[in-house]
Amino acid sequence: MKQLVILSGKGGTGKTSVAAAFAHLACEGPSPLRAVLADADVDAANLELVLHPQRLETHDFTGGSVAVIDPERCQGCEVCEQVCHFDAILPPSPQSGSAAGGEGYAVDPIACDGCAACVYQCPEQAIRMEPQIAGCWYHSESRFGMLFHANLYPAQENSGKLVTLVKQNARLCALDGDYPIIIVDGPPGIGCPVISAAAGASLALIVAEPTVAGIHDLERVLQTTIHFRIPALVVINKADIYPQGVVEIEAVCAELDVELIGQIPFDPTVTEAMLNGEPVTAYRAESPSSQALIAIWQIVSAWLVSPGEPHA
Amino acid sequence: MKIILTTTSPSIDSNLDSRFGRGVYFLVVDPDTLEWQAHPNPGAGAQGGAGTLAAQFVANQHAEAVISGDFGPNAYGALQAAGVAMYLFGASTTVREAIERFKAGQLERVGAPTGQGHPPRV
Repeated sequence: MKQLVILSGKGGTGKTSVAAAFAHLACEGPSPLRAVLADADVDAANLELVLHPQRLETHDFTGGSVAVIDPERCQGCEVCEQVCHFDAILPPSPQSGSAAGGEGYAVDPIACDGCAACVYQCPEQAIRMEPQIAGCWYHSESRFGMLFHANLYPAQENSGKLVTLVKQNARLCALDGDYPIIIVDGPPGIGCPVISAAAGASLALIVAEPTVAGIHDLERVLQTTIHFRIPALVVINKADIYPQGVVEIEAVCAELDVELIGQIPFDPTVTEAMLNGEPVTAYRAESPSSQALIAIWQIVSAWLVSPGEPHA
Repeated sequence: MKIILTTTSPSIDSNLDSRFGRGVYFLVVDPDTLEWQAHPNPGAGAQGGAGTLAAQFVANQHAEAVISGDFGPNAYGALQAAGVAMYLFGASTTVREAIERFKAGQLERVGAPTGQGHPPRV
């Protein structure tokens, strides 16, 4: 079973548009390949907007822990407030007791970083760490196959852990159903959730954009895949908006010894398809962007079937 | 004899996971009889200290060798102290392949951390 992860470095280059087209082409294209789909952009999941999934299962996601003060035990000694580096301890207000409504100190769960310094320092042992429900993950059935996706609640951290959970469940589903591939729509950037999304990938497809920021972030994401020894291929989206940028991307790929396998032209059909909640290849297969995506999918799917051979 | 491999699913037919500290499962295997047991890696979802947690698990299993794709500095130090031999699975992709190569003496034994750690989260 192979894992394809779609990354970009910079946000907004077209990862989800490419992932949605691949989901459609894997399911209904000329050379079908049964795929399990995973949306690993849990901070802003949007693959479902074009896949219209029916949720089969919803599960809570337990993220990090925050401190909780037992008001019965708190003697109001201030030690927790003194040791907290995050200003997360709310003192009792003179009028109404603590901010939590009790007699003593309380913790602001948004400011709390979960370091547990107060837990160790409290002389009354009145503070404990409590795991927080930080989001949900879903197993859904979409029109192009099983989809695993998630929703991280506002201001919650640990998105890398949630990505790991989403991918692990996609992997188990693929193993159970003997699916040959998993298509993972990755998050932007190069941080923790991206590393989680890329971990264990057989291939990373990088969707680059010929803009100054796009080229800069392409280099960063390629350095990330090289560091983790994940084979990568590059495509350029909106390739005709800045020809000089294409030349620069070609140079970056040559320097890092990464294959550039295709260019998708700027095409208003992509936006139209998005507004209609469709992958562009399903919306208008003859459009220039769809034609480019079909050619790219053929190269990528051939690479997944027999890795390492030149296909471009 | 007992060896441990990092794997992506809980089975002797699994693929290997290239990460030690954050690999998904530990497969404890007798390379001669191929009897096996899978355990979730306690480091996989840890907020920090994954390599050390995973190494602690391996040490508690009293395995003679551990096979993975990489050993970071914290995991390396802990496994070294516990006297567990570390091997890289190299070009192997499945558990069965790696065990065959291990038995044939074809796996590279690790004498230093194979990657850099990362700085603690600030």
